[in-house]
This record gives sequence, structure tokens and C-alpha cells, in this order.
Amino acid sequence: MEFVSPEGLRLDGRRPLEMRQLRAEIGSISKADGSAVFEMGNTKVIAAVYGPREVENKSQQISDKALVRCEYTMANFSTGDRVRKPKGDRRSTEISMVIRQTMESCILLEKFPRSQIDIFVQVLQADGGTRSACINAATLALADAGIPMRDLVTSCSAGYLNSTPLLDLNYVEDSAGGPDVTVGLLPKMDKVTLLQTDVALPEILQMDSKLPIDIFENVMQLAIEGCKAVANYIREASKGVEFDQIFLTYIIPGSQHFKDFRK
Amino acid sequence: MVPSMSAFENTSANTEVEVFRRLYPLEFYDRLLDKSVRLDARSLRHFRDSTVAFGAVSSANGSALVKIGSTTMLAAIKMEIMTPSVEAPDEGNVAIEFHMPPICSPVVWPGRPVEAAPVISKQLTDTILRHVNPSEFLLADSYFLSFRVKYFVKCSGMIDLKELCLVSGKAAWMAYLDICCLDADGGLFDAALLSAAAAFSHLQIPVVSLNEEGRVFIVSEEEAGKSKKEAVNKEKRKLNLRSIPLSLTCILHKNYIIPDPTAEEESIIETSVTVVMDSSDQLVSLYKPGGQILAFSKAIQECVELTRQRVKELLRILEAAVSDMEVD
Repeated sequence: MEFVSPEGLRLDGRRPLEMRQLRAEIGSISKADGSAVFEMGNTKVIAAVYGPREVENKSQQISDKALVRCEYTMANFSTGDRVRKPKGDRRSTEISMVIRQTMESCILLEKFPRSQIDIFVQVLQADGGTRSACINAATLALADAGIPMRDLVTSCSAGYLNSTPLLDLNYVEDSAGGPDVTVGLLPKMDKVTLLQTDVALPEILQMDSKLPIDIFENVMQLAIEGCKAVANYIREASKGVEFDQIFLTYIIPGSQHFKDFRK
Repeated sequence: MVPSMSAFENTSANTEVEVFRRLYPLEFYDRLLDKSVRLDARSLRHFRDSTVAFGAVSSANGSALVKIGSTTMLAAIKMEIMTPSVEAPDEGNVAIEFHMPPICSPVVWPGRPVEAAPVISKQLTDTILRHVNPSEFLLADSYFLSFRVKYFVKCSGMIDLKELCLVSGKAAWMAYLDICCLDADGGLFDAALLSAAAAFSHLQIPVVSLNEEGRVFIVSEEEAGKSKKEAVNKEKRKLNLRSIPLSLTCILHKNYIIPDPTAEEESIIETSVTVVMDSSDQLVSLYKPGGQILAFSKAIQECVELTRQRVKELLRILEAAVSDMEVD
């Protein structure tokens, strides 16, 4: 299957180094201490933060820092086929843990001993990159809740199909079987906090002698650039008192053209 | 900057008010009600602003985002093809489920399922589909209601399941309606029912055709143009909704009947009455689950009257949203 046409266009008309359209909305849930909706193309997730508040289970309380709890759920209508088990299945549990550990690394937990910070993320529409969208939404929700953090955490994925590194995979590209890397970055400190990769099937790579490690580094670097682009967008989106909806499309500098739509 | 004395006095007065509100919520509410004001500064009979937006979930066959005040519901319908049951070979089916994920409210914790969610799921299913048995809903106070209130308790009949049939005995639609509460600020059933009605108004039934073995399958958007197979149901893409049921919850406190409560009001006042009426001005159901205040028939009549006003308003909002959608 051809994921990159000879003219260099992907299935949805993007260039290989082009991200999907980003959109963020902060403060959507009145009852939550902090909340945000984050969209990356057709992937739409909503995150809510409750806390710091009293620990539910006193036995889990930590005396010198806060306890972070995270739950990732998918709405039944979020995917093409209706999801039977929105949470509790292995994938959701794994992603919950990944998001929790990523956010734990950047929240200043020592400021809130014996308390609990809950991060709930719900996927409303899934089109690849839900993990990254969830982390970005969680970062914005934590900022909206006023919870002090070392730095923002932004996340983006990248892959490699038809011998081309591709930025920000959608669902079709993600399920194609090529390698894909999800990176979580602390942009100001330039530190990678999350790195997850899916190994490729040899048929997709179509090579046997060359080690995939070169490709892997290339793809990882691309994902890091994507994270920095998301960070720029988030900074723009959180400027000023009013959190308006801003539409921006980013292409990594170095490629042919640069589009910038602002609403 | 040194704060002036008056500013300092104000803040301490504000703190006292906040403390009183937290410690003695019922007395605080009573004092406000005496001045005909509610906790969120509304007047006693004021309904919150409601909005309906279609197409919130682009991957679903029909969807709607409904807000009543801060209460936010996202409803989405996904259609699947199933074999109809033997007892009803030319009827499809609708499965309604209401979810309250932890994002919606600080009182919802993962691992501790909310009581309200399955209760509301069942109430929605009963209201939209099933014939309601009167004895299920009328409680011990039933003899107060018998004389003045004229009611026809029936299946609301919003959806005719026969419209969901494709090939009698072989294929029919199964519509999965999932309503996700994104923000729980009181009046959950009202908002959920409105979002269900809105989602069905927006529903676009997918195009189907028959494959070689005579089985019905859904034709996806891209294939529709290229496929040589005739689409079986090209003309019939929208459901015909007959009477749309809509509801209003009122809380009863002393002599006051207060419509459209917020979550804070619901937590203070235990007694509530939910009235469901349909667009043809008929009473579909009445629900008063216990509570300290016993409702005399006059109170119930007043609730029904308030519901009638509210339903008219909601229908107007719904129709405006539908006509906007058709313009697009």
C-alpha cells in the first residue's frame, strides 16, 4: 500500500514533515479544577484535573509528596467500530500508566504532601496519536488548574513508511505496521521524558542488511521536533487572559513551505 | 500596597458568608429563597440557557453536544447491522447507555461506579422506547394524583423501530446511542434526554447495499461513488421522529417549587420531581423518588405546567438548530 505518493503527499494530503491541525480549548469543564480539550487533526481528547485534594485511600497517601492518579478512557463512539470496553482493558491501563508517569516527572509533587492529583483523560474521537493528544491535553489541564510544573510536557509521534520519515501519524498510517515512536518532551529543558516505540515488521522496512537503528534515531529526532512545534502552539494558546481557540498548522522548518492559519 | 480598611472589612465579611454557606447550606439557601434568589443568582423560576450543537463527533452517524447551563452532554449514535429477533422480524433496535466518566464531577471517582449512571440509562430507555407500566412510577403518594391530573402514560413513541428494518427477517439496524456526561452540574436526566433527541434528529443512516451472498453491508463514503452495486436505501436516510419527549426536573423545598436545579442545589434539597412531556403536549412520565416533601396534586400540576413551558422552549431551540443544520 502506498502511504506516500510519488509527488510526496500522504493519504490525507499532508507532506511527510507536516503535522495535523492543532486546536486547544482550555477551561471547558466548569466542575473540574482544570480542564482542556486538545485536537490533533481528527483526534479529539478532553482532559480534566481534580486536585490537589484529599487522598481517597489513606493507605496510599505519601507523606512528603502528592499522589498522582491518571485514568485514560475511550468513549464508545470514539473509533470506527464501537468500543466495547472503554476502560479496564490492557491498552487503556497501559496508556493510563504512561500518562501518569509522564506527568509525574514534571509536576512539583513536593509542594503537596499527603494529597492527590487526579488526571482524567477521555478520548472523544480517535484517529491515531491519542497518547500524544492525551499528554498535551493533560499538560494544558494542569496549567489551567494552576498546579506548578517544572515545564510543559508535549508529545508527538512519528513513523517511517515507504522509506520516508512521517510526522504525526493518523490511524491508517499507525496501523500500517511501520515503526512508530512517541516522544514526550520537556521543551524548555530539552529533556525527553517519554519514549515509546513500536517495532516494525521486516516486510514493511523492506531491508535486511541495514540496521534499523539509523532510521530509529531519525524518526525520534523528527518526533522531538514535532514536540517542540506543539510546545510553541501551546505557548501561543495560553497567552493572555482569554483562552481563545486558535487554529495553527505547523510544518517543521526545513521543509518546503510553511502554512500558518490563525483564527 | 496597604489595603484600605473597607476592603479588609469586605474580605472578612465575604469569608464569613462563604463559611456560613459551607457549614449551613440549607439555612443559607432558605435566606436566599426568602429574597427570591437562588444560589447561582437566578430568579426562582428562571431556566438556565440551553444550547444544542450538531455533529460534535464526526466519526459517528449522528451526534449532538448539549449544554444546559454548565451541564454538558455529548451524545453519539453508531449504527450497526444485526439480525432482527424472531419475535419482531421487521423491527430494529436501539441501545441507550449513559456514562459519567470521572472528568464530569469531583464526586465521581474511578473504581467507584456512580449510582446515577445506570439509573439514568434505564430511565432514558424507558422514556424513548418501551411502553411504561404506570405502577412502576407511581409511588406510595399515588392517591394524591388520581383525580385532577389527567395523564396518558404510554410509550413516548419517538422512534418507530419498524423504520430501522432493512430486509425483513434478515437485516435491521442496531443503533447504539452513547451519552457521555462531560460536566455534571445538575439536571442530568433533562440534558441527557435533550441530547438523545438532538442526536436522533441529526442521525444520518448509512448507505447499504447487498453483496454477492445477499448479505447487507454498510457502504463507506469513499466506496459509495465507485461501487457498481446499487445502494438499497439511498432515499431513506433520516429517521422520522414523531413526538419528541423532553423533561424538566424540579426540586421541592417547603412551599417552593424550583425548576432546573444545579448540582449544588440538588445536593442540598433531597426532594425532586421529574416530568417528561412530549411535543404533542402529552404527559409521558412522572418521577418522584421519595424525599421529605410530599407532593399534593396542586404541586404536581405546577410542575407539569413548568414542564410544558420548558418543553416549548427546548423544542424551539431544537428546531432552530435543525434548520441551521439543513441550511448547511
